[in-house]
Amino acid sequence: MSVVLVTGAASGIGGAVASSLRDNGWTVAGLDLQPAAGVALALTADVSDPAAVAAAVRAVREGLGPIDALVTAAGHYEMLPVSEISPESWHRMLRVHLGGLRNCLSVVLPDMLDRGRGSVVAVTSELAIGGGDGDAHYAAAKGAIIGLVRSLATEVAPRGVRVNAVAPGPTDTPLLSPDSPWRDREFLATVPNRRLTRPDEIAAVVRFLLDEGNFCIGEVISPNGGVVI
Amino acid sequence: MAQEFTRVGLVTGAAQGMGAAIAARLAADGVHVGVNDRVQTPQLLDVASRVGGFPVPADVSDRGQVFAAVAQVERDHGPIGVLVCNAAYMTMGALTEHDEADWWKVVDTNLSGTFHLIQAVLPGMRRLGGGHIVIIASEWGVTGWPRATAYSASKAGLIALTKTLGRELAREGIYVNAIAPGVTDTPQLEVDAADAGLSLEQMHAEYAKDIPLGRIGQPQEIAAGVSLLTHPDMGALVGQVLQINGGTTRCRV
Repeated sequence: MSVVLVTGAASGIGGAVASSLRDNGWTVAGLDLQPAAGVALALTADVSDPAAVAAAVRAVREGLGPIDALVTAAGHYEMLPVSEISPESWHRMLRVHLGGLRNCLSVVLPDMLDRGRGSVVAVTSELAIGGGDGDAHYAAAKGAIIGLVRSLATEVAPRGVRVNAVAPGPTDTPLLSPDSPWRDREFLATVPNRRLTRPDEIAAVVRFLLDEGNFCIGEVISPNGGVVI
Repeated sequence: MAQEFTRVGLVTGAAQGMGAAIAARLAADGVHVGVNDRVQTPQLLDVASRVGGFPVPADVSDRGQVFAAVAQVERDHGPIGVLVCNAAYMTMGALTEHDEADWWKVVDTNLSGTFHLIQAVLPGMRRLGGGHIVIIASEWGVTGWPRATAYSASKAGLIALTKTLGRELAREGIYVNAIAPGVTDTPQLEVDAADAGLSLEQMHAEYAKDIPLGRIGQPQEIAAGVSLLTHPDMGALVGQVLQINGGTTRCRV
């Protein structure tokens, strides 16, 4: 069985990805701030902490064997006008999203390249493509992920490692607070499919990229209900 | 086929290459597939029989034939819930040397043919309360390609059609998306090879050199994308263009 490391696996999109992959034959290691349920190995770490991520990845290799795939879904969201984004908030946004991907890659990728096989799916956001009012730091961090994914993808494809991304639209997860403007009926009436995206739809795209997307390199797939086309 | 079919589908240009691979994949996904090509041939019948489906001969550039064929499918099997517009015609040449009638034949087969198909299928799809439409565009509709103005224009037009119909139809539960395949191992590459004065094998190698993955794509890899886009539970992909191309779109110089 192939081993996949999923970050942000305790809830939301990461949780849906972890259970979908588990149900389809993957051995799942879940990394999150809290232990993820229903995975073969649950590890806790803050993905913005390189040492903690490195330790977690060592534990995965010891417990489950070599890592065949990496899915980075850990993230946080806040909406702020640009003038109100504190330097700390900006820093944290970049360290969690871009840093979370970078920290995982730096300890997972060398082994994939040595073995000549592996697959990475980074979860980014439609806000990285379309932008959004009050989303400067989130969009910047998620956009940076796309830049990293596309560049790395062409760099490592000849060595057998595929890197792709998924850019969900507003998705029905705990990341969207009950009073989120994206749960608002008026907003949903502007979405082409008239609803929030479901986590299982994101998981289906991730699974496609891992299991069947053998000719997908540096691709960004957007299950977003049509909010950004 | 022993399996149970739960939906009726139509794949155009399915006598060979990508269309035949898509038909096989959809059949495995539980779709009773009508396989279309320009005329009924033993080859088309063979594909139909292999996928447990049925032949739907029609020239997609002929609006009358398209409407008649769709009506026949609906009479025999019921409304079409999965439509894959894959039929394409391609010739290459410098713009000023490209025969005008042939140039328009490329556009009218690829772009207008898809328009006819979607118009013919929509009423039945609406009666079903929803459906999935996948338009097979091309990498060249995104990047353009020298000596392929008609083909690239037709495919870029299909991408804009996909985006527009994605927005227009999603509220009805009809999800329209596209795939823009990169260079894929199909008989269509014989056109490229002839234009470049190369053998088919040389053409494959020539294209593979410029693809980060180091090889051209296989029809089954495009068919897998169609499977994702047409999954009965998938309604979050709307007006999107899946670029399955080995990494070429954004890095080829």
